[in-house]
Amino acid sequence: MILSLYGAWQKNCGGAFPPKFKAPRQVWVSNMDTVEEEKLGLIDLHPEVFAERPRVDIIHENVRWQQLYRHVSYANTKMRYEVRGGGKKPRQQKGSGRSRHGSIRSPIWRGGGIVHGPRSPTPYFYMLGFNTRLNGLRSTLSAKLAQDDLHIVDSLDIPTDDPSYLEKLVEERGWGPAVLFVDDNDIMPLNITAASDSHGHYNLMPVYGLNVYSMLKHHTLVLTLAAVERLEERLLFHLNRNDAASAGQKYRLDSV
Amino acid sequence: MASVAARSFVFRQQMNTRRFDFASCLNIKSFYSSYSANPKEKSPENYTQYHEVSSDNWKFVERLKPPTVVPSFPKNGSCFSDWTPPPDTPPNLPYFVKRTKNFMVPVYLNFEAVRNQRKITMVKHIEGDIWALEKAIKSHLEEVTKRQVVSQVHEVAMYIKFRGDYVLHVKKWLLNAGF
Repeated sequence: MILSLYGAWQKNCGGAFPPKFKAPRQVWVSNMDTVEEEKLGLIDLHPEVFAERPRVDIIHENVRWQQLYRHVSYANTKMRYEVRGGGKKPRQQKGSGRSRHGSIRSPIWRGGGIVHGPRSPTPYFYMLGFNTRLNGLRSTLSAKLAQDDLHIVDSLDIPTDDPSYLEKLVEERGWGPAVLFVDDNDIMPLNITAASDSHGHYNLMPVYGLNVYSMLKHHTLVLTLAAVERLEERLLFHLNRNDAASAGQKYRLDSV
Repeated sequence: MASVAARSFVFRQQMNTRRFDFASCLNIKSFYSSYSANPKEKSPENYTQYHEVSSDNWKFVERLKPPTVVPSFPKNGSCFSDWTPPPDTPPNLPYFVKRTKNFMVPVYLNFEAVRNQRKITMVKHIEGDIWALEKAIKSHLEEVTKRQVVSQVHEVAMYIKFRGDYVLHVKKWLLNAGF
């Protein structure tokens, strides 16, 4: 069977697609029922999503953003008014022959306050632009597909909840040590949830949680058919919409 | 002080008379912090009447909303503007310039301010051999304008920039090339 997502393409891109120059990428659909891989059919992947030139700089920006936006630095130094003491003038202004000072905790003194030191808590929150994040997803998905690290399965239903089943399956198929399973639904089937629970390197994720950092952290990315359809529909919608400016107005941080 | 107090008292009296007229039409709703403190819902005859409308009527609302995606262009029939639709098959060239999501040719005029403002013509959405495309457009521009043209090729982001305002020339060339 050759599955086509042409319906989703047409709905989101007013008839201009599939694009004429970049050919759709054809990928096998496998099963999860048996340890050995059974190819169920072929599927066409949209080249705008899965065959984009991977922009390494955009991928780097995304990874940096994901790590940094939640980072809070708790390093702290005391300023001159916070250091204990230093309220009294050490000696009178004139007469002693020594240099003049107002406080023993001024920054030029040993043990005095730090002028431009770290001040706790310092947030490093910032929002990467929408299109940068969008193109980060496109670049990473394209890179994963190009490097044979992307696999498509029909669904995440496995016969047993035995953790060793997943181990054997991943070993047999040559999938990487760490595998990220992505499905459209956020409530996953019971068996795969139980089987992957004890393994920290097999992770389940809904499509709305897909991000560049996780895709790079896991060696292999396994998408279900439903996840692929949803991904393509969402990404193509954002690539072809004309009301992005007005829709994104409420999320702008620097304007009221 | 006393005069101010007297004045404010008079003013309040005047206000009171006016405020009484307001009170009858103002029905300020208070929201209490707990369920039990809130007034409970009364039986339907205490509220205004309503009637349900068939959900088929939603189409009248939907047709008023603007489309978020540019709809497909008519395949046959002339357009009375300068716009020409992209051809069905790509030309047999080692490069390709894709149309934008609004089916426009991706040539833009930027103003890059380096002390004196500079006009830059930018060609985006390039696929394939970018250097061959740059050579082709550059030679065409030099032929047309009879002067040297300076260009920049950005291989990572896949765009070409020409120093000067050649937007119309480049657009024409691209349309003639079949993009």
